[in-house]
Amino acid sequence: MKENIKKKSAAYLGIAFSLPALIYMMVFIGYPMVQNFILSFKNVDVYTFARPENQSFVGLQNYTALFTDANSILPKAILNTVIFTVASIFFQFIIGFGLALLFNKKFPGCSFFRGVTMISWLLPVTVAGLLFKFMFQLNGGIVNQFLTSAHILNQPIEWLLNGKSAMIAIVTANIWIGIPFNMMLILTGLTTIPEEIYESAGLDGANKLQTLFMITIPMIKPAIMSVLTLGFVYTFKVFDLVWVMTKGGPVNATELVSTYAYRLSFEEFKFSSGAAAANVLFLILLFVGFFYIRTIDDSEVM
Amino acid sequence: MKITKQTKNKLWLLLIGAFVFVIFIFPLYWMIVTALKTQVEIFQIPTPMWPHQLTFEAFQKQLSESSDTLRGFRNSLIISVGAMAISTLLSIPAAYGLARFRFKGKKIIILLFLITQMLPSTLVLTSLYIMFSGMKLLNNYWAPILADATLGIPFSVIILRTYFLSIPKELDEAAKIDGCGHITAFLKIMLPIAKPGIVVAAVFSFVYAWGDLIYGITFITNPNMRPITSSIYNYVQQYQTLWNSTMAFGIIAISPVVLIFIFMQKYIVSGLTNGAVKA
Repeated sequence: MKENIKKKSAAYLGIAFSLPALIYMMVFIGYPMVQNFILSFKNVDVYTFARPENQSFVGLQNYTALFTDANSILPKAILNTVIFTVASIFFQFIIGFGLALLFNKKFPGCSFFRGVTMISWLLPVTVAGLLFKFMFQLNGGIVNQFLTSAHILNQPIEWLLNGKSAMIAIVTANIWIGIPFNMMLILTGLTTIPEEIYESAGLDGANKLQTLFMITIPMIKPAIMSVLTLGFVYTFKVFDLVWVMTKGGPVNATELVSTYAYRLSFEEFKFSSGAAAANVLFLILLFVGFFYIRTIDDSEVM
Repeated sequence: MKITKQTKNKLWLLLIGAFVFVIFIFPLYWMIVTALKTQVEIFQIPTPMWPHQLTFEAFQKQLSESSDTLRGFRNSLIISVGAMAISTLLSIPAAYGLARFRFKGKKIIILLFLITQMLPSTLVLTSLYIMFSGMKLLNNYWAPILADATLGIPFSVIILRTYFLSIPKELDEAAKIDGCGHITAFLKIMLPIAKPGIVVAAVFSFVYAWGDLIYGITFITNPNMRPITSSIYNYVQQYQTLWNSTMAFGIIAISPVVLIFIFMQKYIVSGLTNGAVKA
C-alpha cells in the first residue's frame, strides 16, 4: 500500500518536472499549429486581417486553389522541393559516407581534419548562403573562374539567373552544409562494428568492395536509415538558404514549398493561403517522419 | 631505411585526408580572403587566390559606430542568450523527469519532443505572427526570444535525457538514503554531475537562436533591433556587390559560433550524434 503511494507520487513528480517545458511547447508550437490549421480554412488576407468580423470559413477553398489555380505555383514548388531534396541527399550521403570511411581509419591529422569539417554544419545558414551566392556570381565568382580555367565551361555563366543552374547552385550549397551531419552519424555507426568481423572477413578472402557491401553497410543499416530519413526531413523544410541565395527565383525556378508558404503569408499577405501551403509541407514531412519514428522505435531508443 | 607498407598506407591516407580537407574548407578560406581584398581585386579577371593588396578596410567599415554590424551583433546576443536561458531552464527538469520517473504517457511526451524537432518553422510562423501582433510583441526582443527557444528545447530535452540516463541510479538512491528528497537530490547531486551535458544543451540552444533567420525577419522590422542574420540579409539587398564588406560582415556574424566550435568541439560532436540518433 505504502509502496503504491510512493510510486504514484513519484509519477506525479516526474510529470511535474516535465510539465513546464511541455506547456511552453504547447503554447508556442502546439497552439500555433492548431491555429494554423484553422487559419487554412478561413479567408484571412491583408483586407480581413484587422477585421475579424469579415473573416469566415471557406472550407477547402485555399487548398483546392493552391493545387488547381493557374496562378498557384504549389505543384511546381513541390516538384522543386523533391528535386532539391533528392539531389542534396544523394550527394550528401555518398560524400558523407566516403568521408566517414576515410576518417574511420587512423592516420596523422585524422581527428583534426574530421573536426574542422564539422564547421560547415554549425555556421548560420544565412551566412553560408551568402557566401555561396558570392561564389556563384557572374562577376568575381570563383566557381566560374575554376570551371573556365578547367575548360569545363567555355565562358562564365550567370548561375543564379538561370533556372537550372540556380537549382544546381542551391543544391551545391546545401550539400556543403549537410555533409558533416551525414559523416558524423555514419561514423558513429561505423565505430559500433567490432574489428574482429573485418579480420575474419579478411581471412575468408573477402576483398574491400565485398566487405563494404556484405558487412559494413548491413551492419550500420539503422544509422543509414536515420541519416536518410532525418536528412530528408531537414532538407525538405529548408528555408533560409534558398531565401538568401535566390529568394525562389529566377521565375520560381527554385521556389520550395517553405519559401512559397512564406511568400504567400508575408509578401502577398494571403495568410490563409500561406497557412494551407505550410500544412501541405507538414503533411509530407509527417508521412516521412512516421517512417523514421517506426525505425527508431524498433531499436533500443525509448 | 625501409618504409613499411603500413606507414606508406598512412601517408596515402594523410594525403587524401588533406586533399579533401582543402576542398571542403575552401569556401571559408574564400570568405576570409575576400574580406581582406579590395573591390578592384575581387572583380579582377582572373581574381587572385589571395589578397595582393591586403586591406582591413572592410572590417574597419563594419566595425565602425555607424554600421549595422555591431548593432546586429548586440541584438543577436540579447535574443540568443534569452532563448538559451529559457530553453535550458525548462529542458533540465523536463529531461530529468523523463529520464528518472515512470509514468503514463512518458513515451508520447518524448515522441512529441522528437517530432517538434522536425517541424518546419513556416508551419507556426503565420500563427505566431498573429499571436505576437495581438500581444503587441512585434518589434520587441521577446518575440524572437520566445520563438527561438522552441528550437532549442526539443534538442536539449533529448540530449539531456540521454545524459541523465547515463548517470547511475545508485547515486540518487544514495542521496535519498541520506535523507534528501527527490528535489534536493536533483539539485544537489544530479545537476553538478550533469554539468557537461547542460553546457552542450545550452550551447546548442544558443547556436540555433543565433542562426535563426525566419523568426528574426518576420517579427522584427525595425532596423535598429534586427538580429545579425537579418541585418546581413538586408545589407546584401542594399549593397549588392560590395562583397568584401559583406564577407567581413559574415565573418563577424559567424565569429561566436566559430569560437564556440573551437573551444567545445568534442562536446559538440558528441551532442550532435546523441541528439540526432539516439534521441
